[in-house]
Amino acid sequence: MNGFFPALWAEALKARRSKILILTTAAATILPIIDGLFMFIIKDPERAKSMGLINVKAQITAAVADWPTFFQVLLLGAAIAGAILFAFITAWVFGREHSDRTAKELLATPTRRETIVTAKLALISLWVLGITLLIFVLGLGMGAVVDIPGGSPELIRESFGTLLLISLLTLLMMPFVAFFASAGRGYLLPLGWAVLTLAAAQIMGVLGWAEWFPWAAPALLVSMDGGPAGPIPAHSLVVVLIAFLVGTMATFAWWRGSDQAR
Amino acid sequence: MNPAIETHNLSKSYGEVRAVEGVSLRVERGEIYGFLGLNGAGKTTTIRALLGMIKPGAGSVKLLDQPIGPNGRGPWRQVGHMVERPSAYPELSVRENLEIARRLQKIADRGATPKAIERLGLGTYADRKAGGLSTGNLQRLGLARALLHEPELLILDEPANGLDPAGVVEIRKLLAHLTKERGMTVFMSSHILTEVDRLATRIGIIHKGHLLEELDHDQLEALRGRRLEVKTRDLAAAEETLTLAGYAAIVNEDSLYLHEDHALEAPDVIATILVEEGVPPTRLVVTQENLEDYFLRLTGGAA
Repeated sequence: MNGFFPALWAEALKARRSKILILTTAAATILPIIDGLFMFIIKDPERAKSMGLINVKAQITAAVADWPTFFQVLLLGAAIAGAILFAFITAWVFGREHSDRTAKELLATPTRRETIVTAKLALISLWVLGITLLIFVLGLGMGAVVDIPGGSPELIRESFGTLLLISLLTLLMMPFVAFFASAGRGYLLPLGWAVLTLAAAQIMGVLGWAEWFPWAAPALLVSMDGGPAGPIPAHSLVVVLIAFLVGTMATFAWWRGSDQAR
Repeated sequence: MNPAIETHNLSKSYGEVRAVEGVSLRVERGEIYGFLGLNGAGKTTTIRALLGMIKPGAGSVKLLDQPIGPNGRGPWRQVGHMVERPSAYPELSVRENLEIARRLQKIADRGATPKAIERLGLGTYADRKAGGLSTGNLQRLGLARALLHEPELLILDEPANGLDPAGVVEIRKLLAHLTKERGMTVFMSSHILTEVDRLATRIGIIHKGHLLEELDHDQLEALRGRRLEVKTRDLAAAEETLTLAGYAAIVNEDSLYLHEDHALEAPDVIATILVEEGVPPTRLVVTQENLEDYFLRLTGGAA
């Protein structure tokens, strides 16, 4: 695509200079750190109490401090927190052009509007990939420091694959956020949308319709009982793809044709 | 050669509000076209339509012979623009903001950014964050971005906004130089009439969404009203004297005004009459209606 790499360079420069990059990186580190701390407490509650990490001796009988549990918590956390964190990134990448009134500088240039939108989506994908890798690598480090048992190369490989898939499915929902950031000309609407879909995903899960609700798809990859989660049903992938396509087309259509009167 | 800008019956409404209606503009190449109007007259809406940022409700736009489509296509390599108040990425430096523009403009020459910085006098601020710039320097950054690719056509919305008097003069000289030396066409909207008066070779006046008049600067000169202004130490006696001599003198505040051709063509006769009758003039001058007066006369004194 002609002009894609210069546009991506521009998007990357904006991200590098922003505080959002540091903020999202910091937010991504919370999950593995909390997970590691959780394992540390379960592993030896007495020691955790003596270190002041907890006030009362934890009575967590259901959980065990091992690698399978550690990854289960990490993946479940990624499925939930990822939806908000990735939406935050997407809302910023698209919404900032309106809050800073810079969108008008992107409209009448030899670089096509579609190219600019593609570069923005590509940057979000790279950003999400970086955050996913950070969560996993930091998770491995935390698990190693806490020294929990039950790890194996196969488990690590499988958990990494599942984490990547969770991030991918969450990422595929981001074009809708991009659309609301563009049409809503700022941050409020896309973040509201992200919270709404996250809440709706929980309700759909309770009602047993999660497989048909694309925003619930990432959580389908996490087993709630600690056992291996089954493969994601084909119809769930189809609804995810449909949601991705609709969101993408809506975003492109908005940038291509809507009045930019502000 | 075909015009640089051509609109045909351009109209745009926002709900019930008709922002622009039936505007047919024609800006020849090499002109400095001053687009005059009060706030809310439709200047920015017209400019946004020229740049394909809004879809006209009706009518068409052509820039440099190329129709402006509904999908943002246009001859943007040859067009520089600055719409409304200038904006920039606040956490990026002036240089970085221009580098982004350079790449989106697909300008291969890396020297374009430092050249634009120098041209707009932004050297001191080149590595400062745009978020900390004054309005005037932000305006300079906007102009630097518009000129980065040495466009054939420059479309500027209120370019003098926020600039200090020295900056206004500097930008005026720059625009005059660019049109004279490079043959650039400039379309600039403004509500600062003196600016347009000094710079524009052709003027369009828009009021309440309608293009009231388009005229060359020379035509404007001819259309402007002229008057003979007379000051004396005794205005009442001077008025009486001139009335008796067959002139229609009008007293306004501390001066007498005469509009008739025979007065305008022979102010020396007026001076002689007044001296002979013992009310010699302390000031006698033929003044021309300025653009502001003309504009207010045309728009019905809407200011």
